[in-house]
Amino acid sequence: MKQLIELKVNGQTHDVAARPTDILVDVLREALGLTGAKRGCGLGACGACTVLIDGRPVNSCLMLAVEAVGCEIVTIEGLRGASGLHPVQQAFIEAGAVQCGYCTPGMVLAAAALLEECPQPDEARIREALSGNVCRCTGYVKILDAVRGAASRAKDPA
Amino acid sequence: MQVKAGGGPAADSECLMEPALEYHAPESLERAVAMLAEEPGAGALLGGGTDLVAALKCGLLRVRRLVSLRAVPAHREIARTADGGLRIGAFATLHAVAGAAAVRAACPALAEAAAQTASPALRNRATLGGNACIDTRCWYYNQSARWRAHRAPCLKAGGERCYANQGENRCVALFSADTPAALVACGARVTLRGPRGERTQPLENLYSGDGLTPLVKDPAEIVTGIELPAAPAGSGSAYEKWRERDSIEFPVVGAAAYLRLGPGGEVAEARIVLTGVGPGPLRLGGTEAALAGRAAPDEADREIADAVSRSLGVLYLAEAVPHKRRVAGVCVAAAVARAAAAARAARSAA
Repeated sequence: MKQLIELKVNGQTHDVAARPTDILVDVLREALGLTGAKRGCGLGACGACTVLIDGRPVNSCLMLAVEAVGCEIVTIEGLRGASGLHPVQQAFIEAGAVQCGYCTPGMVLAAAALLEECPQPDEARIREALSGNVCRCTGYVKILDAVRGAASRAKDPA
Repeated sequence: MQVKAGGGPAADSECLMEPALEYHAPESLERAVAMLAEEPGAGALLGGGTDLVAALKCGLLRVRRLVSLRAVPAHREIARTADGGLRIGAFATLHAVAGAAAVRAACPALAEAAAQTASPALRNRATLGGNACIDTRCWYYNQSARWRAHRAPCLKAGGERCYANQGENRCVALFSADTPAALVACGARVTLRGPRGERTQPLENLYSGDGLTPLVKDPAEIVTGIELPAAPAGSGSAYEKWRERDSIEFPVVGAAAYLRLGPGGEVAEARIVLTGVGPGPLRLGGTEAALAGRAAPDEADREIADAVSRSLGVLYLAEAVPHKRRVAGVCVAAAVARAAAAARAARSAA
């Protein structure tokens, strides 16, 4: 039976009719039209569904929507600020870190959460932060370039 | 859910969750226990959900009721105890456990095991208690319903035969969590709250040795905490994990070593525990006895590795068995060497 739940997504509160078994990624995509988070493996092994829950990356394919009540949810659609793209988004564009794009929202959110917690990560920390996000196109080189670029841009904005 | 360790990737993400599943989020542990006890076996406890939701999606778990711990605020803290030990709330996430300074200082093996579990996003949800209670896994069981539909259900899925171990026809699904091996090696005790009150016992005794029902506990009992004794002077621990790639995967083999050194640098006490080789964390009593009294090795010792490989009993596994035996030996030897180095460093710092 569906019931109304209140989800706070990208700073906006939404009343959503959801069954207790509805998975967060499906509610975001189908009820709220936020199709940035992708359905991939459905089992937490690819990271395409990554969203931020209270600032931390989480696999939205393994979280019931009802479990996210009371949390701050950020999807890729909510990452950009008033002044434009998030620095990680901009860095992905500049580094050419996108090919088919299916993994990109998850990659960008995982990287943004990393830089929020650790603005100047070393190489090992970057790789660790992205280790739950699979990309089958790029070979990761440009993605790592982008994250390094976003970090160095934050350090030296010129 | 991680995908290996005797469980290949599910072929599709078709969601088989029962639409009529009840969901409850009681605000107290007592209420959660009562809800699970109302109809034994009909409910499942939902903590981080990283393993449970995956099992529900694959149709591996048929329950009518989920009891969420979301609204239970307690049992998340990580703190030193008065006697220098460590108390960890069972609902602490693996991210919190891996990053806690107190854990890294008091039990490096646990911090290493938690940090190498699954992926960062999964560790942000998965809990230590959930990891301790994770179900056993098998290539023939942890698959999508569509994959499994091609043959009669296996023993673990309620059928009559084991496809992994056709000789003896008993379930040989593998316990593959990382943190319990480290916890057992470091002498952890577990606290459970159930319909008949609270009990605390060695974590080692939580495991039945049966792949079908790997835990010795009432289905309505909830693991609420883990306690580690104070590490004595001159002791050290380490965890070594071998997996098919350095992220997400369950271990092919994980090895935890705890060593306490005597005044002459000899091994006074050793506890060695493997994961990924049996239906629960496996203590290597023979290896522990062989190490006692010997000089603690400076580096990974070939003899230890070979002895461990030889000592492992019959393994029924999808991975090549000789390979798994060899990896187990190598992991134990490496963990013992690092635990010895940590123990020597702890003794010289004291």
